[in-house]
Amino acid sequence: MAIPHPREIQTAVVDWLDDRYPFTKSVDEALYQRVPNFANAFYYCFGGMVFILIALQLVTGIFLSFYYVPDAGVPGNSPAYNSVLFIQNTQYLGWLIRGVHFWGANILIVMVLIHMARVYWTGSYRAPRELNWMVGVIMLLCVIFLSLSGYLLPWDTKAYFATEVTIKIAGLAPPAQLGAFIREVLQGGPVVGPATLQRFFTIHVFLLPAVIVLLMYVHFRFIRAHGISEPM
Amino acid sequence: MAILLTSTVVVALAPLLVYLWPAAPKGQRKQVLTVTLDTPIDQLSDGQAVKFNAPASPDSAFIMADGGGDNAAGDLAFGGFVVKNQGKVDVFAINCSHLGCSIALNTDAKTFDCPCHGSRFHLDGTVLRGPAQAPLSHLTWKQGSDPSSIQVDGLTLGF
Amino acid sequence: MSNGIDREGPGAAQAVTEIPIIEVDGHTGHTLEPEWKRLPIGTDHILYPVLVSLALFPILMGAAGHHLADDMPDDETHPFFPDHFWPYPIIAVIMLITVGLLAAFVQKNLQLEQPADPRAVTIPRPDWYFLFLFQFLKLGPELITAIVIPPVVVIGLLLWPFIDSFAGTRVARRLGWKRWPVPGRNIYTGTGWIVFLAIIAFLTLWALAGPGFCLPWFSGPVCGA
Repeated sequence: MAIPHPREIQTAVVDWLDDRYPFTKSVDEALYQRVPNFANAFYYCFGGMVFILIALQLVTGIFLSFYYVPDAGVPGNSPAYNSVLFIQNTQYLGWLIRGVHFWGANILIVMVLIHMARVYWTGSYRAPRELNWMVGVIMLLCVIFLSLSGYLLPWDTKAYFATEVTIKIAGLAPPAQLGAFIREVLQGGPVVGPATLQRFFTIHVFLLPAVIVLLMYVHFRFIRAHGISEPM
Repeated sequence: MAILLTSTVVVALAPLLVYLWPAAPKGQRKQVLTVTLDTPIDQLSDGQAVKFNAPASPDSAFIMADGGGDNAAGDLAFGGFVVKNQGKVDVFAINCSHLGCSIALNTDAKTFDCPCHGSRFHLDGTVLRGPAQAPLSHLTWKQGSDPSSIQVDGLTLGF
Repeated sequence: MSNGIDREGPGAAQAVTEIPIIEVDGHTGHTLEPEWKRLPIGTDHILYPVLVSLALFPILMGAAGHHLADDMPDDETHPFFPDHFWPYPIIAVIMLITVGLLAAFVQKNLQLEQPADPRAVTIPRPDWYFLFLFQFLKLGPELITAIVIPPVVVIGLLLWPFIDSFAGTRVARRLGWKRWPVPGRNIYTGTGWIVFLAIIAFLTLWALAGPGFCLPWFSGPVCGA
């Protein structure tokens, strides 16, 4: 029996897959869609840069969570604080992963704002793209809340008091009972404490990343449906 | 059918919302906390104040007796000041009535200053300068067994 | 094996009779379920938005629809891959190197303070992207600066396309412009946007200038953070 050429094996595998689902057609549609030439202007790349940074945050975030312990502990002995110190000072390349997550988050905010300014500048929020602008604003809020919740996780003094003030501000909503309710639900108790850290950890690691990934998908489907907007 | 869908949504959402509302931990109880002061009350001179903290082990906090602004009666404070002003001794919670930052004693001006947004209070707790609009909150206290200890109403947090 | 169904080749479960496809208004596709089988929920029903949002997912999973570039001549377009895609791996590598270098050489911002202690006395200071809000809180009663204005700004941003199309057309008509947006003249909304950004930048710089830097304000001097 003749040994088949590798390309024949590949073709056979792809044919087998295509009989089950039109993979090749989907890939063709995704990759070879025509893009207008004016979309080569440099200011159309900021959205892509935001995408790259969010992907980077997801990867480094997953790696950080291998060592991070979301446990505030008792005053004077905090496993969360100690685990961040461990990542920073002891774990091989921990400073790099944490540093990339930290700086990536800061640059992400800058890039999101620049992307938003570009969308504004080219008038890309106008019909028929209103919904995509709204999805974008919701994602901006997601990024802000991600930064806010991530700031608490090292559980050091500045994180603690910054979070306390933030929750206080959220708790100012009138009437007083509603404010107290908001504050209690955010804190998970009468004061900013271990329950708050647990809640913010869950929001930062499970809730908001899921939401933002879903919204990014919606964002891209809208862009593909609308096409890239014309420059001003 | 619409009733079925509506009731499904309500039945599924209600427990989730209730679950977000935190219950108090088992060990959480109101308690009179005994605090030792750095300077005994009878040695405080007029216009002098001494800061004290809630015990850290077990983790506990003081309960404010009255409120105003950001503070409300029943809110928790992790520290306070005993202050002697014109012969009268007051005990204040440490939280500024603006947004709850810890106030500090300004020994020169004989005021309590908030480092966050610059609010200032007289030693009797009334506002000297905004943005705070309400006076400082009092703590419910009584003299302990010796001059350097006081007993303050508080809460063992229980976590 | 002989249960009466012919099995010829893979996936032989084929319909014996073809399902008729009814064409209505040029719409070819599967026929809708009969009325009595469908949910009695129309556009006037309170649960209609729920259904629409549930339907959003399969809609977005489906075909992307008509593309702008489909109507353009071939020499004015190019394929997404590789002609449009190639800069992005380069951008990704450059950004990775940038954050890596920042992580390697600017470790100061990453150092932790003391473990959280509610009994500690410190001045809380938010991260730089919240400094403008932090500074803004000092400028008035917090009920207005914290609870009224920020949500109004966020809702304004969210609804901006509609505000622009509503107000912009009226401004354009008053100024005698033929249509809105006027190509190359985004003056009014552009100026508003720049003023908005300038206020945020100013508040941030004000806060960054530190507690020693005070400016006069209606309620007395206000200092940085």
